[in-house]
Amino acid sequence: MRRGLLALIVTLLCLPSPAAADVAVQAYALPPGGGPHDVAVGADGIVWYTAQRGGQLGRLDPATGKVDLISLGPTAAPHGVIIGPDGAPWVTEGGTNSIVRVDPHTREVKRWALPESRGYVNLNTATFDKRGRIWFTGQNGVYGRLDPATGAMQVWDAPRGRGPYGITTTPDGQVYYASLAGSHIARVDLDTGAATVIEPPTKDQGARRVWSDSRGRIWVSEWNSGNVSRYDPGTKAWKTWKLPGDRPRAYAVYVDARDKVWLSEWTANAMVRFDPETETFEAFPSDRRGANVRQILGRPGEVWAPESGADRLVVYRVK
Amino acid sequence: MGLLVGGAATLAGLSPPRADPGRGERVFQRCFACHSVAAGEDKLPGPNLRGVIGRRAGTLAAFRFSPALVAAGARGLVWTRETLDAYLADPSLFIPGTEMGLPGLRESDDRRDVIDFLERRTP
Repeated sequence: MRRGLLALIVTLLCLPSPAAADVAVQAYALPPGGGPHDVAVGADGIVWYTAQRGGQLGRLDPATGKVDLISLGPTAAPHGVIIGPDGAPWVTEGGTNSIVRVDPHTREVKRWALPESRGYVNLNTATFDKRGRIWFTGQNGVYGRLDPATGAMQVWDAPRGRGPYGITTTPDGQVYYASLAGSHIARVDLDTGAATVIEPPTKDQGARRVWSDSRGRIWVSEWNSGNVSRYDPGTKAWKTWKLPGDRPRAYAVYVDARDKVWLSEWTANAMVRFDPETETFEAFPSDRRGANVRQILGRPGEVWAPESGADRLVVYRVK
Repeated sequence: MGLLVGGAATLAGLSPPRADPGRGERVFQRCFACHSVAAGEDKLPGPNLRGVIGRRAGTLAAFRFSPALVAAGARGLVWTRETLDAYLADPSLFIPGTEMGLPGLRESDDRRDVIDFLERRTP
């Protein structure tokens, strides 16, 4: 075992038959204790995940199941990871209050720290706009923007204080974030940075994460209400659906390449796929107790879910 | 009550409370996104921590706890300096199935100071 690099061949597990015949489910066991929080898959099929408890970034090659761990520092506690336009994983690194890029080839870790005057902001999630700038949320009540080309970083106070959580970019380049504690979503002005609050119809719904479909409509996972809701910026109209089951709680949301909406639902310990055309849900229960999927990301044909409570990455391959 | 708890903490090998009120509040910024110590602020993602010292785990009426926290409380877990220290050091290890996202406060000084802070918010 080499320093800073833990590699192991993992067991590939075939899970019980999924609810839908067009979906094949496969789980990858990860090094124990890492607590995989967020996941991102690149165009090359390599999967990156944040091992939040371990302070590391993980790299999974799904073809072999091999996992490498890259240390982000002794005080690191990475929350989010996305793939940037440069093909590299970019991390919202909460432990060091910084945005981190890891070179996918050399594994070099480059860090942009938030201004010390901001203090600890509890960095959450990031997204790139179409101008090469990365926008991020800090759950303690901020959002910000970094231009990696110049190193310029700006941090703004969120309109209603603590809560900024998930963040996404629409196909036409608009940036929206969700405020969990604030129970709203907000659109960010890409030039001025000003955030405009958009109120969902359900009070105190706990908007945790957001994702855009191919038409730029914003899908919201509502933790408190157990709803998934959709905001259409063109018409400013909302539509809301309750997830199935008793007292559901929707944590993560992701819209796949076919505009199907994937959610993680914690009460039933399941992944849920919602078809906006038929307005129907399909559930894919985990075979592990307390899987606790906190985020979802994918690429065409694949939806990846980190089971933070089971130290696994699970992929839903759609035929 | 505070003296009794503090004495128990020392016997258990924990550092005694120290007189830096500001530091504990700064450490609490790690918890701030989800928790409040302000009376009545009960619509955050985590339970209100005002008066948490001495409270049975998973029992605050205004909050929907995870089954793991409810079960821990049913088994008799009460939040003391010692149990909070163990929980905050590694939440998922101390209570498997907890939904709290905090990966843990690795430094014992941080845990001591934030517990000091919480203890001061226990009426």
